[in-house]
Parts: sequence; structure tokens; C-alpha cells
Amino acid sequence: MNSALGSLIDLWPALVAGAFGAFVPKRPSWWERAGVGLIAALLAMFVMWMWPGAEQQQVAGEWPHLLNVLIGLPLIGSFFILFMPRQSPRVLRGLTLGILLVDLLASLWLLQVPMSTGWHFVYVHEWIPAFGIRYHVAVDGISLWLVLLTTFITPIAAYVTFGSIKTRIKDLCFSFLFLQAAMIGAFVALDLFLFYVFWELMLIPMYLMIGVWGSQDRIKAALKFFLYTMAGSVLMLAAMLYLVYTYSQLTGEVSFSLLALNKVLLPQQAQLLCFWAFAIAFFIKVPMFPVHTWLPDAHVQAPTGGSIILAAILLKMGTYAYLRFAMGLFPWAAGTQAANLAGVAVLGGIIYGALCSWKQDDFKRLVAYSSVAHLGYVMLGLFANTHTSTQGALLQMVNHGVSTGALFLLVGVIYDRRHTREISEFGGLAKVMPVYAAVFLVVTMASVGVPGTNGFVGEFMVIMGTYTSPYLGKFHWVDAAVAAFGVILAAVYMLSVVQKVFFGPLKNPKNAHLPDLNVREGIALVPLVIMIFVIGLFPSVFLSRSSQSVSDFHTRNRLVWNESQAANPEPRLLTNDILAGSLSGSSRDELMKRLEALDGQEPGRKPDDKGSKDETLAIQEESK
Amino acid sequence: MNANILLGLSPLLIVAVGALVLMVVEALSRFRDERLESPSASLAVSSSVVLFASAIAAAGVWFYGPENLPEVSSLAPWLLLDRFSLFFFVILTLGGALSCLLAGGYLPEHKLDRGEFYPLLLLSTVGAMTLAAAGDMLTIFLGLEAMSLGVYTMVAFRRGSPRSIEAALKYFLLGSFAAALLLYGGALLYGATGHTDLSGIGSQLANTGLRLVKSDSEVPSDMLLIAYDNAVPLVMVGLVLILVGLAFKVSAVPFHMWTPDAYEGAPTPATTYMAVVVKAAAFALMLRVLLIAFADAKTASWGTGWPPVVAGLAVATMTVANVIAVRQESVKRMLAYSSIAHAGTLLIAVVAATKATQQAEASMIYYLLAYTVSTAGAFGTLILCGSRGAEAVSYEDLAGLGRRHPAIAFAFSLFLLSLAGVPPLAGFFGKFYLFRVAIDNGFTMLAVLGLLNSVIAAYYYLRVLVVMYMKEPEPGAPIAVPMRSGYVAAALLISAVLVVLLGLLPNGTLEAAILAAG
Repeated sequence: MNSALGSLIDLWPALVAGAFGAFVPKRPSWWERAGVGLIAALLAMFVMWMWPGAEQQQVAGEWPHLLNVLIGLPLIGSFFILFMPRQSPRVLRGLTLGILLVDLLASLWLLQVPMSTGWHFVYVHEWIPAFGIRYHVAVDGISLWLVLLTTFITPIAAYVTFGSIKTRIKDLCFSFLFLQAAMIGAFVALDLFLFYVFWELMLIPMYLMIGVWGSQDRIKAALKFFLYTMAGSVLMLAAMLYLVYTYSQLTGEVSFSLLALNKVLLPQQAQLLCFWAFAIAFFIKVPMFPVHTWLPDAHVQAPTGGSIILAAILLKMGTYAYLRFAMGLFPWAAGTQAANLAGVAVLGGIIYGALCSWKQDDFKRLVAYSSVAHLGYVMLGLFANTHTSTQGALLQMVNHGVSTGALFLLVGVIYDRRHTREISEFGGLAKVMPVYAAVFLVVTMASVGVPGTNGFVGEFMVIMGTYTSPYLGKFHWVDAAVAAFGVILAAVYMLSVVQKVFFGPLKNPKNAHLPDLNVREGIALVPLVIMIFVIGLFPSVFLSRSSQSVSDFHTRNRLVWNESQAANPEPRLLTNDILAGSLSGSSRDELMKRLEALDGQEPGRKPDDKGSKDETLAIQEESK
Repeated sequence: MNANILLGLSPLLIVAVGALVLMVVEALSRFRDERLESPSASLAVSSSVVLFASAIAAAGVWFYGPENLPEVSSLAPWLLLDRFSLFFFVILTLGGALSCLLAGGYLPEHKLDRGEFYPLLLLSTVGAMTLAAAGDMLTIFLGLEAMSLGVYTMVAFRRGSPRSIEAALKYFLLGSFAAALLLYGGALLYGATGHTDLSGIGSQLANTGLRLVKSDSEVPSDMLLIAYDNAVPLVMVGLVLILVGLAFKVSAVPFHMWTPDAYEGAPTPATTYMAVVVKAAAFALMLRVLLIAFADAKTASWGTGWPPVVAGLAVATMTVANVIAVRQESVKRMLAYSSIAHAGTLLIAVVAATKATQQAEASMIYYLLAYTVSTAGAFGTLILCGSRGAEAVSYEDLAGLGRRHPAIAFAFSLFLLSLAGVPPLAGFFGKFYLFRVAIDNGFTMLAVLGLLNSVIAAYYYLRVLVVMYMKEPEPGAPIAVPMRSGYVAAALLISAVLVVLLGLLPNGTLEAAILAAG
């Protein structure tokens, strides 16, 4: 009896599928229902039969399925939406928002665990054993905030979009949920194949979002977005395959796991090639000058919700992946290229982005170019590769998500009212829309980086870290100085547009009776504005959780850099397990000793003690 | 005759006998009520059942193990019933069955409902299966002709349409030309080596005194060797002729000119059949010929043999086909060019097979399986999009389909995204495996070119999505009205399930493919 019951319980997916197939579709007769249910149950059993066995290690206090829920809930929801009637948009919208909010609540659980060394909420499951491909997800202090940013921004974006878009709600709900699942998946995937799958999956819903609900030139923009990203990612796939091949030559087993591939030390030439193949894919996504040209088009054409997600989360995918994969797998190549790339980030990103932004007539284009500038800071922080700058870059990713998301939302507000984004059409709006003007001013301050708001902390830490960076050659102080100058430029373009739009005489009669923010827009903006001040005033809440992971990352990075300095014509494995995996207590102390011994061999200045001092200073200063 | 031989041959025999029986049944039956008793209504399902039965028989032999049937080796070298053939039997019968189901919806809808289509398709599949199992120039030619003659007729099935006739004539002339080249090449090789079986040719080229470069230091001591030395030009010419014949059959650039016209002019189920079954059989043939007969150290080396030629064909095929496909205005023609481009990708694996035969063959088998279900699905949805007098041909016909018929548009997107290689669908995994094999064996440049080509391909596949989801039909423009057909829906369902399963859970099939190649 018990065993029969047990086997029935083991078959629960088949039973659920069968019940779903039998009851959900509208079928006239019971035998048709039974047939559909049977087919669904058999299909589920077939999948269960094909699915390879699990291997699981569980850490106390961390529910291993949490990340599966975060990914799976929107994914299953999106397919569920497909089978719902399109005539009831209210139900569709409610369900979508409900799923996204549950996802947000579930993701808060991630905060329950202190982000100590190593990976958390690990879930590993064999997927394609013949190729060593596994479903391997986990978070650490680096991906934690990006996952939370995703679950935080998407409901807001969806909520705002539901206010302005009234057509094809079903497709819209599907896109939002599917996108959410793919984005979270890409942030937590630790298997390169899995990461690639999620990375590509993100493209399709975003492509639909731009192409279906965008403005006039939407199709061109959507195609441009898709093809740019895909062109980058196929090169990444080639490099990935090469890396896996090298690993299999060295160890005799195939694995796509990031933790396994971390052990591979490629010869310098191969490392450079692979680094560039990865980096180009990520630079396109970021986007860095000169492959940024898809961004203004995509942003301008996308609907408000699409722009918010694109700016707040999808661009972070590029910066995050650069940190995790391009720098993580090829530390030496990333280090040698850092000085030049930092120059590109400063001149092509911060300065050029700001200047372009200044000269735009189109409101949304202006915000889009300001994204290029802001991501220039993030990339600069990553290139500088000191503890402070990487922390700053991570924080700046979240900041940019919050403040630029809010800016796009605000631009969407007046676009909904006037159906134009020409800056010259507006003027003196502060008189008719006082609340709107006030919120806009706050968000502008955050975007410019006024002390007390989130933007200041991130930019300050990036510039500080850049100044002390050993990787940027002789130009570290030039980079830092020019980046600081970029903050002034940001103030110039943002404040000038605020001045043009909100102050001065109310010339255009069409603007005389614009309604102020409505309840929906208010509800969407409140959490964003709150986050601006929370991050601005209490940055240590955020920095403390990522600090350990960043320093572990750096320790490893510097050691591998040192290993690669010597010319090695053949690829080899980094035998020391400390280098490859996470660091435990005692081996960490040993490592720190080795690091101190290595300090003299670093190019440029000594980063470590000074860098950490700077960082504590910075944090103390911000906390006040 | 031993029962085990019958068991081994059962996949072939089931299709052959089934075709003959159905032909007789069709000839003897009278169809009174057009709706209920049309030839398609009775034949479409029965022929696909025959083909599925053959697939099941092949699977049965697979699980029983061909090595447990020692008697079938008595058929060698004419028919090689190894796991490689068995896997190809499954691919070919699956493609044939899907085409049958598509025809069951398409032929009645477009007033082409004549019963001979199905026996033709079945007999042609027998030819394709013979070709996949053939190990001798004789059976190769038999299989090739049996397969092609059926297909020529199927292409010309729309008798009233000049385009269909033109397509069939073009295909017939160029196909015969290719067959003649292949035959001529085989004859020359026979003259040079004294063998018609592939392994005999191979061992003769590898082991005896046949040298592709004449060396003065080794003076041949007997007459036989002198004869072989003189045979070198014969071998070279034979190899080139066979390569050209094969390139025609897999429609590699620059021997692809017939493909778009033939694919476009043929009734869509016949197009599906050509794109799926004929192509798969041709690749099976190519693998057999190149990897058995021309696998010796010199002929299969990069410096002195055929690999650079095939690599050049691969790059030219992918690039030219993809670039031309971008400019097409007809979806059917676009799919035709896309199938040429996929052939180019497969040729990369043929090159890689010179270094790692098993891995490369396995990747090709997997790719062909994924390509079969995705392409059959894509053509099937195209069939479903059009009805009598309003066949969906151009991109504009599909405008607004995503809003009017979301399920069809979703299915079409699924198949096209699989063809474009978007994870986690079947096409992506096929590509992934193939490029992995190429990179593992040092053909990184070829793999990178292939990957970049897949970006171009994504553009034209996405165009269909653009039209379906992002455009509305011009006011007054003719709108494609989807037809209703249970057969087509069944075919699409099978393909869709396979497209998702082969992409998400590839492990079992992957291990089978590796076993088949080994």
C-alpha cells in the first residue's frame, strides 16, 4: 500500500499534467477530455523518463529550490497565460502582476542569508550528461542585487505598461513573464550552456515588445536589437566551445560549468582571442562605444515598459556577464586590455554619451544616451578592477536601474499625455504639473549624482577605485579626472533639459491643461524614489552584502593574473583548488599570505591596502 | 533466406510492401462522396502509419541490436544494416510520414487529390532508405534513381500549373545529370580499383600501390602496380565526378540552381519531402562515400585530398544561400534557400569527419533529425496558413497572422526559431553540437563562419515573425485564410513536440546518435 502510494506521489507531475489536460481546455465530451488528459499525463511521464537523475547537496537554511521558483514561476505563468482567453484582459493583467509580485516576495528570501564566501541557494541537476551540461544555478553577492533589481523593476514596468498599452494584452503579459524568467535565469546560471540559453531567450520577448508595441520605426529597431545581440553572442558561443574543448583535453571530461572552466589557464594568445569573443558580446549588450548604436533606436521605439526593462535590467546583463565571465574566465587578458578599454569607457562612454545626450531634441533619446554615459562609469569601475571600483560598479548597476528606470517612466508619462517627445514642445510644465516636476527633479538629481542620492555613491566609488587602480597603467588618474568631469557634463545635460521642460514661460497652449501624475503612475514611482534615497543614504546595506564576494573574486583574479604573467605556450590547469573554487576559512588566510608576497610583482602601484582604506572611507562618508 | 534477414530488412520491407498494397487498394477503390472518401482521406493516414511502423521496426532492430543478427551481414556490401542505417531509417520515415500527413491536408484543399501521390512517396522513401544503407555503387545508383523518380513525379503533381512542370523538368534534367555524373565517377573508380563496393574501393586506395603522387624512387615491381599508377588520374577524375554528383544532390553552391525553383514550384508537401527526406538521404550517401571509399590518409587529408574542397563548398553554400535568402519575397523560396544554407552547415561536419568520424557523424545525424522536424513543421505551418485560391506564399500574405490566428503564428515562430538556432529548441542543439565538433577538431574558422552565417539567417527567419506579429495587412490586400485540417495539425503537433523535446532533453537521442555513428 505504502509503496503504491509512494510511486503515485513520485508520479505527481504526470498526474498534475493529466488533470490540467482534462479540465482546462474547453472540450464538449468527457471522453475527449479523458483523451487529452491521458496524452498530457503520458507526455509528462515520458519527459520524466527522459530526464536524467538528480544529484543534490543541500546547505542548511537555504532552500535549494528558491532560484528554481524564481525562474519557474514566471516561466510556467507565461505558458499558462497562453492558454487563457484574450477577451478578459483584466484577469490577464491581474495574474501577471500577481505572479511578478509573488516573485518579488520570494526573492526577498535571498536576503535572509548572509552572502559569505562561496555560492548560495545552489541547485544542480544533470541536464545533458553526455556533454557535461548541467542545470546549475546559484547566487553570490555579485548576482544577488541584480536578481533583486530584476524582481523589483519588472512589476513596476509591467504595472506602468498596463496603464498605457491597451492592445494585445495577452501577448504583452506573456512577454513580461517570459522575459522575467530568462533574465533571472541569466543572472544565476553558473553553467555556460545554461547561461547562453537564457541569454538568447531574453532576446525574443524583448524583440516582440519593441516590435509590436513600439512607435513608428519599431520594426527596424527591433531587428537591429536582435541582430546586434545575436552577432555578439555567436562569437561568444565559439569561444565557449573552444574553452570547453581545452578543458576536456586537459582533464578528459567535458564540462560547461563555470567553476570547472575557471581552472583552465589558456596561453596568452588564446586567452586574448577568447576574451575578445566574450567581451564583444557583452560590450554590445552594455552597450559600449562604438557598438552602442542599437541602443538609442531600441529605446526610442520601445514602449515605456520595454524601455524601463531594457535600461534597468538588460543592459546590466552585459556588465554583469563581463564581470562574471569575461573577467572571471580570462583575468590576464581582461587585465592587459583594461587600460585601453577604460579609455574607451571614459571617452566613448562617459564623455561622448554625455555630449550626445546634451544635443538631443528627443526626450527619450536623451535618456538613452545618458544610459551610455552611466554605463561608461560601470564599465570603468569594472576595468579598474579594484575592490572599491568593482563595488562601486555593482552599486552603480543597481542605481542606474532605479534612476534611469524612473526617468524612462517619467518620459513615458508626458508621452502618454502629449504623444510627442520633442523637448522643444514643452516648457513651463512645473506650473501645470507640480508633482510631476518635483519627482522629475528628484530623479534628475539621482541621475546626476547629487550627494544624498544613490548616483553619488556609485560614481564616487568608481572614480575613487579608478584612481587607485593598478590595471590602468599611467592613465589611472587621467581616467579618474575625466570621469569626474563627466559628472559635471551629466549635470549640464540633465539640468538644461529640466530647465527647458519645467521652467520658463508656458508657451505651448497644448500644455496648459495637462493632468498631473495619476494614481497608477504615482504608485509606480514611489518605490523607485524610495530606493533612490535608501541607496543614497544607507549604501552599506548594499555594499556589505557584495563585499565578500567581490573580494574573493579579486583574490582569485589577482592570483590567476600572476600565474598568467609567465609565458605559457600550452594551456594548463590551475592545480590549486583555491583558485578554482570558493575559499574556505583556513585556505583563505594562506592565500592572503601568498597575495602579500605577490604584491611587489603587480604592475603599477600596490592596490590592496590603499584600496581597502579608500573603500572604508568612502562607505563611512556615504553612511553619514 | 533466414528469418533474421527478414527482421533486419523489416524497415525497408514494411514500406515497400505497404506501398504496393496501398497502390492496389487505391486503384481498386471507388470514391463516391468526395468529403469522406477522397483518396487522401483513406491514404494519408494509412501511408503515415506504414512509415511509422517502419520507424518502429527500425527502432526494434536497434534495441535488439544489429550485431545480434549476424545473417544480415550477408547483404553486405550491398546493404549495410548497421546502427547508422537504422537511425537514418527513422529520420527518413519520420520525414516521409510528416510529408504524408501534410499532403493529406494539402492535396484535397488545392484540388490535387489523386491517390498516386502516396504510393509514390512511399516508394521514393524505399529508395531513400536503400540509399542510406547502400554500401556499393550499384545499390547507390538503384536507391538514388528509385528515390529521385518518385520525387520528380511528385514535383510535377500540379499538372495544370506551368510552374510545377517547369520545376519538375528542371529538377529532372539536373537530377539525371547528377546521377549520370555519379555513375560515371563510379565507373571510373571501378576501372581504377576493380571494386564497386565502397569498402573495397577504400581499402584498395589505402593499402595497395595506388599512389596519388607518382614517386620515382619506388619502381613498381609487378604489372598490377603499374596499372594502378596509371589509374591515378582515373581516381582523381572519379572522385571529382562523385563529389559534384553529391554536391548536386545535397544542393551545395554552386550546384544549387535547381533547388529554389524546384522547391517553389512543387506542391508544398512534395517540397517538404525534398527538403527533408531527399536531403537526409543524400547526406547519408555523402558520409558513406566520402568516409568509406575516400578515407585513406592521402585522399582525406587537408593537404592533398577532398576536405578543402568540401570546406570551400560549405562556406560558399552557407554564405551565398543566406545572402540570397535575405532578398526573397516568397516565404516558400526563402525556406528553400534556408534549406540550402543548412546543407552548407552540414558540410562543415563532413569536413570535421576526416578527423573525428564518430563525433562528426553523430552531430550530423542529430542536426538532420532536428532539421527534419523543424523544416517539416515550418512547411506544414505554411500549408496551414493558406487555403484554396489563397495559398500563403509571400511575406505579405502572413501579415497580422499573430493577431488573427495566434496558435498558427506561435507554431510557425517555434519552427522558425528552431531553424534559426535559438535555444532551447532542437535546431539550436543541432547547431551547438555540430559547431562543437568543428571547434574540437581545429576547424575553428569554419565554425566561426558558420556561426556568423546563422546571424544572417536569423534576419530572414525573424522577418516572418515581424510580418506575423508586427504588421497588419494592407487594406484591400488579399488575406491568407488558414485552412482546417486534422492531418496537418497532427503533423505540426508531432513536429512541435519533437522540436521542444530534442532541444530541452537531448540526452537520450544524443547517446543514440553517438551509438549510431560509432
